[in-house]
Amino acid sequence: MLDRTALGRFISVLAGSYDVHAPVTACDGSFEYAPVRTAEGLDGTRTVTGLSPKGIFFPKDEVLFQYDGDGIRSGEASCRPIAVWGMRGCDARSLALLDRVFGSAVQKPGEERFQDPYWKARYDGAVIFGAVCVKPLSTCFCNWFGGSPSSTEGMDVQVTDLGDAFLLAPVTPEGEELLGRMDMLTQAADTDLDASREVAHRAGAMMSPPFSLEGLDRRLPELFHDPAWAGIAAPCVNCGACTFACPTCHCFDVQDEGRNGRGRRLRVWDSCMFSSFTLEASGHNPRARSLERVRQRVMHKFSYFPANYGERLCTGCGRCVAVCPVGFDIRKVLRGLGAPRDLKKD
Amino acid sequence: MSVEMELRAAACRLLEEGTVDLFIGWERGSLPASAVPVFITDPADADRLVFDITCGTNPAVYFTKDHRQFDGKRVGLALKGCDSRAMVQNIMEKQVEREKVVMIGVPCRGVLDRRRVALAADGREVLELSDLGDAVRLSGRGFDVEAPREAILADSCLACAHPDASVADLFLGAPGGMEDAGERRLRRVREYEALSPAERWERTVLEYGKCIRCYACRNVCPSCYCEVCFVDQNDPRWIGGTCEITDTLIFHLIRNLHVAGRCVECGACARACPAGVDLLLLNRKVAIEVLERFGEEAGMEIGAKPIMADFREDEKQEFIMG
Repeated sequence: MLDRTALGRFISVLAGSYDVHAPVTACDGSFEYAPVRTAEGLDGTRTVTGLSPKGIFFPKDEVLFQYDGDGIRSGEASCRPIAVWGMRGCDARSLALLDRVFGSAVQKPGEERFQDPYWKARYDGAVIFGAVCVKPLSTCFCNWFGGSPSSTEGMDVQVTDLGDAFLLAPVTPEGEELLGRMDMLTQAADTDLDASREVAHRAGAMMSPPFSLEGLDRRLPELFHDPAWAGIAAPCVNCGACTFACPTCHCFDVQDEGRNGRGRRLRVWDSCMFSSFTLEASGHNPRARSLERVRQRVMHKFSYFPANYGERLCTGCGRCVAVCPVGFDIRKVLRGLGAPRDLKKD
Repeated sequence: MSVEMELRAAACRLLEEGTVDLFIGWERGSLPASAVPVFITDPADADRLVFDITCGTNPAVYFTKDHRQFDGKRVGLALKGCDSRAMVQNIMEKQVEREKVVMIGVPCRGVLDRRRVALAADGREVLELSDLGDAVRLSGRGFDVEAPREAILADSCLACAHPDASVADLFLGAPGGMEDAGERRLRRVREYEALSPAERWERTVLEYGKCIRCYACRNVCPSCYCEVCFVDQNDPRWIGGTCEITDTLIFHLIRNLHVAGRCVECGACARACPAGVDLLLLNRKVAIEVLERFGEEAGMEIGAKPIMADFREDEKQEFIMG
């Protein structure tokens, strides 16, 4: 158990060995992950941050290498280990999914893959303090993907806010080892465990029932030419806010900057919503129309990624739904595709 | 009859008579207190139309970029003041054929900004919003509060000088529902101008430094329709792709100048920004600059020439004459 009054000390001790990030409400009211050294501004009352935590491990822009007359230097992050406090189950799970792309040596059994050193420098060795959701939002649908307000996948320690104190339950050996080093913790009583279960139960009961995606992975390739895509894509303005806010979208562009013998190679976030994303050197663009790009986003998450990695590339955080300026709701789209004949009326 | 009922009746009539092939308005969204654009072809669907404080999307965006999905079709639209100005501007710029659109003005009292709604509810999720006129009632799990209307209106609406359609074939309800906030608009710009260069730089960097380069602002903007946007050109590349302030500010400054005299300050950019950048900071400044220099504003009159495409001998030319 961690007494609420000791949270500040806990975070500062943590900050002694880690770069600590946590959801913070800024003075302008925005709610985002930010670096913290104390408990000041930490906000556990709000559920999902505006942007996802993927940028902590996969920055919006990063230098892969720099060069000048003295040679080439890797831009590999030489940062201190990272700890994140208060990460929701959907986000912790999204990092585990991204680790399949950037961190794992194996995609399918027997297929060796490249491991991204930039990602690994940040994610391997990171400690994730996950939070049990107290108040799921109307945009939340983690339960469509096997998640729940008390999911633990991708977490090292699961934290339940019990009001006066936090219950810290280790999930991984690393989490357990770290908690063992914290002297401000006390042993949890059975009543604390009961209270924690009650919080998780109450939050779970607030979730709307999930929609079953069973069989959708197999159906989607058949729906590639379905006329329904025109209606689905019509309102989308390809702004890309969904992909930038998404915790699992991970496409990037590589850009070179340089002149007079010095320069750098950068990796920056990119989006399948942009026409330039697939523009080929010849001038041909296989996804020239909005419809094709909208279809790609759905297909990648729910057909291609499952085919390659065995899991859907969505954790139901609901950010894309909340952020969309034209109200594109992926849940509605999936429901429609699940019952294509009713799509137009859905 | 309420404006909403009038709108449904008008859309239904236009579709039934065959005056238009398609009607664009707003319908209830899947989120609480939201409305989303809807494309109606069947007169029976006109009942889906709504019009209230949640109808933020500027439908003029659907006529530009690669959303020219209505080519050849006659389209009816419901338009707030800013939406109509964006349509007029695009007609002036020959992006939309005047005779292919039927413009229906709706009396606007401002639209909400989801961020400000959350702020008014202390960060709690609002599951129900009722419009009480000068106030709104916000409720959710375990709370029920009243807030002044101004607390949740988009910043673009709080400083809106033209709430009613500049051009409309038909105007529903009575125009002038919203107080002209032109004074407040000017004051915002004057406050920014009054800052010392160092303070102004700090304010600008603070705002535009939040940018994550997703370009949502560009894509929801009805005036941003270059065939290939300068940020997407890569041979040569005009601008770096990072989120360093040198790159982000160049992007925003160039975009500002591209929409100078064309931006109608609808605020679609600011509402769409996932990073919460107050994009009107510079857009509004440029609009006032254009107004004071040329005495005109974007999208007010169909017959007019686009402001930046026009030249008059009496224009200020102190930058040439010294």
